[in-house]
Amino acid sequence: MTDLGAPVELRAGPGRRELTVTGEGPAAARVSPDWVRISGASAMALRFRSGRFGRELASGGINLLLNYEEGCRSDCAYCGLARTRPGDYEDKSFIRVEWPLVRTDELVERMARAEDRLTRLCISMVTSPLAYRHTCVITEQIRSAVRTPLSILVAPPTLNRAKLEQFHELGVDMIGVGLDAVTEELFRSLRTEVPAGGAGLSWTKYWSVVDDARDVFGPWKVNCHTLVGLGETDRDLVETFVRLREREIFSYLFCFNPEPDSRLGGRPKSPLRRWRRMQLVKHLIESAGYDRDNFGFDAAGNLELLRGTTSEVEAAVADGVAFMTNGCPGEQGEPGCTRPYGSYRPSEQFRDFPFRPEPGDMRAILDELALDDIFEREVRA
Amino acid sequence: MERSQWAKVGGYRMRTDLAYDSEGHMWVERLGGGRVRVGLDPLGLEINGTLAQLAMIPVGTEVQRGEPLGSLEAEKFVGPLRAPLSGVVAATNDTVVENPGLVEQDPFGCWLVELEVLPGSVEDAELVEGPSVPGWFAEQVQEYRDKGVLAE
Repeated sequence: MTDLGAPVELRAGPGRRELTVTGEGPAAARVSPDWVRISGASAMALRFRSGRFGRELASGGINLLLNYEEGCRSDCAYCGLARTRPGDYEDKSFIRVEWPLVRTDELVERMARAEDRLTRLCISMVTSPLAYRHTCVITEQIRSAVRTPLSILVAPPTLNRAKLEQFHELGVDMIGVGLDAVTEELFRSLRTEVPAGGAGLSWTKYWSVVDDARDVFGPWKVNCHTLVGLGETDRDLVETFVRLREREIFSYLFCFNPEPDSRLGGRPKSPLRRWRRMQLVKHLIESAGYDRDNFGFDAAGNLELLRGTTSEVEAAVADGVAFMTNGCPGEQGEPGCTRPYGSYRPSEQFRDFPFRPEPGDMRAILDELALDDIFEREVRA
Repeated sequence: MERSQWAKVGGYRMRTDLAYDSEGHMWVERLGGGRVRVGLDPLGLEINGTLAQLAMIPVGTEVQRGEPLGSLEAEKFVGPLRAPLSGVVAATNDTVVENPGLVEQDPFGCWLVELEVLPGSVEDAELVEGPSVPGWFAEQVQEYRDKGVLAE
């Protein structure tokens, strides 16, 4: 947190502005593949926009989002781009941040100029019949000019195995699948049986794309986005982390933060304690080989026990990596896609750290974890 | 009432009849009777990115130069609004607290705080004013351009 000097009572008005895409004029004809949206952090990194980060950090991850007049055909209950979320598509936020619209050729030119500062590029598809073809066009455009590793966050309803193979042939390095909801029941209620229709989003289809992507791209080249706070239990999350680890697929954790006016807009964000514990649990499963037996749950599925060796767990906490942003790596394995302030406000505690937490951050993390309440030492299964 | 004086410096429209805090990019307008009005200059706004929220300390609070008058939160940044002079907060502009976008539209038309200046405060302050303003501001713009903070 930024030091504000002596403690004083601040009086903030109701005037917190929800940031949306602004200042670009009508976006009607500005559609992919000639135009794409980029995240606010990407716009700052490539100097499309002015601004700086609250903490000294370098952000070399560039995130692109396809843009269509009709928007995304999906209607996910928690998403800023959902069809039934009020407002025009061009004014909608996505994961609560601004996504300015830019010309693809200018973007590629700027990325090429800034290549030595870039760590990871990612194209986010939306559910649209045009998305696959345009993702290929943009991928070719990027690959011909920029060497930085490229991921695609795919829209499963638009894909099949052959299309994934085509992405691979075009030079895509990693595939992300935004599963988000970690149980079939939750997935169906939030993404399939929705007011504007499910647009082909189904639990089975998502997992088939995960499996195909794993076959095509190989071990640890696929990631599944898992959201903490949609109504799942801790047990559900652990089951998912283990299932993915067994297939050598990364779980990328995201902390639920309500998108205003979405159907889950009134749902509280994930409590920090639960979030920190899930970060640690996921890290222990993915990196230290922990399994279902290392965790105990109450009748409601809440985590109440972590069984492990003191040295292992303490080392995992102290290392800090567990609490960093989950994202595709850079060319040398360094953090690549760090999404600074992506799921929390700059004035809030970091939910995931776009850098290795510093000693002051670690003290806060230890408080937030309250590990002594659940940790049964020296009982590694 | 005197008319405002303007100049275009480094691509920004600046008022040259005001004083500026050399570090915090706050403008200072003398209202007479030991009272000043304080706001954010256009560069002070732009370097932080899209403004999301402003918060001010309560009226009646005494602040020393450099202490927070409030805070500013932008899309990817949060930080203090530092007092350019020592004084007691005499008024805060509730309109801009409720609608911070107004400050981006008109940084010189939107004051943030009025201060009753403490004796000796003006003399101790590091304010840039008069003919020095354009040169100082142009250097500041270049400095932030070099840091990669400003859009190209």
